[in-house]
Amino acid sequence: MDVNKLVRMANQIAANFEYGPDKEKAAASVLDHLRRFWTPQMHTEIIEYRNRGGTELNEIAAAAIAKLAEEKPRAA
Amino acid sequence: MSKDFIPYQRADDFGTPASTSDRIVTVTIDGEEVAVPAGTTVLRAAALAGINIPKLCATDSLKAFGSCRLCLVEIEGAKGLPASCTTEVRAGMKVTTQTQRLADIRRNVMELYISDHPLDCLTCPTNGDCELQDMAGVVGLREVRYGYEGANHFAAEKDKSNPYFTFDPTKCIVCSRCVRACEEVQGTYALTIDGRGFASKVAASQNQPFLDSECVSCGACVQACPTATLAENSLIEKGVPEHHVITTCAYCGVGCSFRAEMKGQEVVRMVPNKDGHANHGHSCVKGRFAFGYATHKDRIKKPMVRETIHEPWREVSWDEAFKFAADKLRAIQKKYGKGAIGGITSSRCTNEETYLVQKLVRAAFGNNNVDTCARVCHSPTGYGLKTTLGESAGTQNFDSVMKADVIMVIGANPTDAHPVFASQMKRRLREGAKLIIVDPRAIDLVRSPHVEADYHLPLRPGTNVAIINALAHVVVSEGLEKKDFIDKRCDLDAYKDWRTFILDPRNSPEAVEEETGVPAATVRAAARLFASVPNAAIYYGLGVSEHSQGSTMVMGIANLAMATGNLGREGVGVNPLRGQNNVQGSCDMGSFPHELPGYRHVSNPKVRELFAKEWGVTLGGEPGLRIPNMFDAAVSGQFKGLYVQGEDVAQSDPDTQHVTHALSSLECMIVQDLFLNETAKFAHVFFPGSSFLEKNGTFTNAERRISPVRKVMEPLAGLEDWEQTQGLSNAMGYPMSYKHPSEIMDEIARLTPTFEGVSYAKLDALGSIQWPCNAKAVEGTPTMHIDEFVRGKGLFRVTPYVPTDEISTRKYPLLLTTGRILSQYNVGAQTRRTENLKWHDEDVLEINPHDAEQRGIEEGDWVGLQSRAGETVLRAVITERVTPGVVYTTFHHPESGANVVTTDNSDWATNCPEYKVTAVQAFKVTKLSEWQRNFEEFTEEQIDLLRRARAGQPVT
Repeated sequence: MDVNKLVRMANQIAANFEYGPDKEKAAASVLDHLRRFWTPQMHTEIIEYRNRGGTELNEIAAAAIAKLAEEKPRAA
Repeated sequence: MSKDFIPYQRADDFGTPASTSDRIVTVTIDGEEVAVPAGTTVLRAAALAGINIPKLCATDSLKAFGSCRLCLVEIEGAKGLPASCTTEVRAGMKVTTQTQRLADIRRNVMELYISDHPLDCLTCPTNGDCELQDMAGVVGLREVRYGYEGANHFAAEKDKSNPYFTFDPTKCIVCSRCVRACEEVQGTYALTIDGRGFASKVAASQNQPFLDSECVSCGACVQACPTATLAENSLIEKGVPEHHVITTCAYCGVGCSFRAEMKGQEVVRMVPNKDGHANHGHSCVKGRFAFGYATHKDRIKKPMVRETIHEPWREVSWDEAFKFAADKLRAIQKKYGKGAIGGITSSRCTNEETYLVQKLVRAAFGNNNVDTCARVCHSPTGYGLKTTLGESAGTQNFDSVMKADVIMVIGANPTDAHPVFASQMKRRLREGAKLIIVDPRAIDLVRSPHVEADYHLPLRPGTNVAIINALAHVVVSEGLEKKDFIDKRCDLDAYKDWRTFILDPRNSPEAVEEETGVPAATVRAAARLFASVPNAAIYYGLGVSEHSQGSTMVMGIANLAMATGNLGREGVGVNPLRGQNNVQGSCDMGSFPHELPGYRHVSNPKVRELFAKEWGVTLGGEPGLRIPNMFDAAVSGQFKGLYVQGEDVAQSDPDTQHVTHALSSLECMIVQDLFLNETAKFAHVFFPGSSFLEKNGTFTNAERRISPVRKVMEPLAGLEDWEQTQGLSNAMGYPMSYKHPSEIMDEIARLTPTFEGVSYAKLDALGSIQWPCNAKAVEGTPTMHIDEFVRGKGLFRVTPYVPTDEISTRKYPLLLTTGRILSQYNVGAQTRRTENLKWHDEDVLEINPHDAEQRGIEEGDWVGLQSRAGETVLRAVITERVTPGVVYTTFHHPESGANVVTTDNSDWATNCPEYKVTAVQAFKVTKLSEWQRNFEEFTEEQIDLLRRARAGQPVT
């Protein structure tokens, strides 16, 4: 899939969960969202992108995907 | 469902509307004691007791009028002869309905009527179904002493301008039933009685032909007419029906109940069912008249297959079509993996059909790649309401609006998209309810006869969340929230967080004024009004959901309703107005890739086990692809096979060129539809679907109401849609053996707690059922969340405003927003094949005079409309309905290419496309766009390939 779209989606999800100083909570919400609504293939591709540097991911999205990568080492 | 044929007879008519009083009054009518609610008229009380007092101007869909003088009665102790239609019962009243004196008067009245009425009963369209004829018989009229030579109306000309009904003034008795129906039932006020005395006549608008008048062709006047003055053209052509079947309309999410009035297997007319729980006997131009598509010549009646999309179709037998499709899909899975195929269910199909498609995908395809067209309309409703209230559905029934003191309409245009509910809403508004409209356009409700919005918030497209936050900010900062409700019903930790968020000055009306374009004072006044009344209700549509923050907006709406205590009783609530007939149902049935039926996440092992046991398969616990993900995966070569039931993604989904690129990348697409729609032009297998008239099943409307769909004619292609899905499943090696959709509903009920008590037998008995229907609510649930929210405590969710990426720039300075109009439905596949084209034969671009002048655009000019996604050309309509900077169009005609322009921007939570905001430029042009020229060429090729199939090979 077009990874740029996945990045845009992940950033958008993060932007909507971001409020206040608690970035960890926001990242946890993003992670939960990705688990609930994204397919395994989408997980794999966004983790691969993150592992390649993931420069376009915003801070919260990157934190969430880092945790996702820990959960799904095979995908990475 | 039980045998459906009911011998034709006119619906019962009790003369005047029912009283809702709890107090019972007993009267004596013709010696018989009758107990009725206080406020009941003598006419109705008599009718309830089986005593039929003659009447002409009275009908129970309208308030009593008292003009025809046929229903006079004698009442002991009362002076004169009161009209029973305008006289309410009093305790102990003694009424006599038949005396010589009354008989003489009634006969005289009828004699006068008939002296100016053509005596062509034997050749009259309503011969045998005419109240005037009946009354002549009832009063024993035997002669007309006045003769017919005097002044009369026999030479008056017929008005045949409306394609669906004829107005024949020679037969009019000026009872005003049509005029009153237009006012009271429809609320349009298009009809009037023009002139006085003998010159009185029914007139449309300013004595115009019906088609040119303000008439919206809802049919209320035709239904109310006691003579042949207003009669359906189909009745004139075919004669009085011989039986009828009660069924449910297949158009919008109101889900009107209709009597399909039949001759054999031919529909003579569709008449709204007075006992219909959603529509109470009302209808709109689509449901009432636009059913001709079902027998249109474009219907495809044989299954077809082809190897590539550039070769002719081949007509084949059903078995060959199933085998061809199954072999292709299995081959794709073998080559590319189990997840390389998927299915799309339809909000136009029944619950049972939708359930079966998702079952096919999960059990036979072996993955969760199933999605529904609700993805592109109300998926944010599912997410937002499930998160905040605990259930993915509207909270009320339609009748609840009659107890609302303030009605807030956000991003919905009910008079066009949900016309029958709009009429009910307008009735409440005429009774004095206040109205707040949040919409970039001045929709009809902003100002129409006897209805005017108290506040119109014409916000800039894309700023919904800023507005809803500002409204809530006013409520909280001015101490207008309902603290008791919040304390008792809501999660207080979440409320505390939300309260801090909403009080942030950045959410104040003043702070967002520049962004939204709505004066802060208006927002404050609207918020105060909303919070100040006992019952305030919110109704919303796709103007809420089809945004990059659609889900956030739905949660913002729920927050506002909770903060003001407007949930859990009649007159309040959060009410999504669903676009298509079965949006609610298709979502309920597990069409989303992350949810099994009843909105239960696939990751829940207990739920999976339940279904796995029933279905005899192992089920995957990871979400599947959503529709936009399917397209992206198809373009990147990961997704190769798709089964589309009753949807037209090539026309309805955004960024058309991306969609058609994706469809062209598939190795096998199966399209199941009535017509060779835009999507089918990219298909390899075509299953000819059945219309709602050709199958049994159920639809679930916007108020969670499950209503029966009953077969009135045999499927033109031989199989109902659920049978086609079953055939495909069997060919794929996953056996299905349902004999009737009732068995599918029984399975749904076994597996879905909210449907536990639903059965066809109960639907037959009750007429319709609002889910949840189970042991706790045996007959269903009109109002949800009464004592507690489905999720327990209501959850306030923080809703920060995140501006969309679709913003106006120097290159694309205008914002395009899209919508619907009354006479057309969705992609128009049905309504474009009816006479509704008379009202809307092309999509146009609405543009403000200021923007038009700047661009040298004049009314009717071709206008190029360009976005970062693509370009199309439409004709300009210059109007102040849209504010400067905003342009508007519809997507009912494929060649308009509205979705060539819309982009892949979507809701953050659900990927629901942002149809409502696209940055565009508009400019005067002289020819169609390149996309349109290519579209014409491709369409011609595909029509030719279809023609060759029809002319060609025999069925093998």
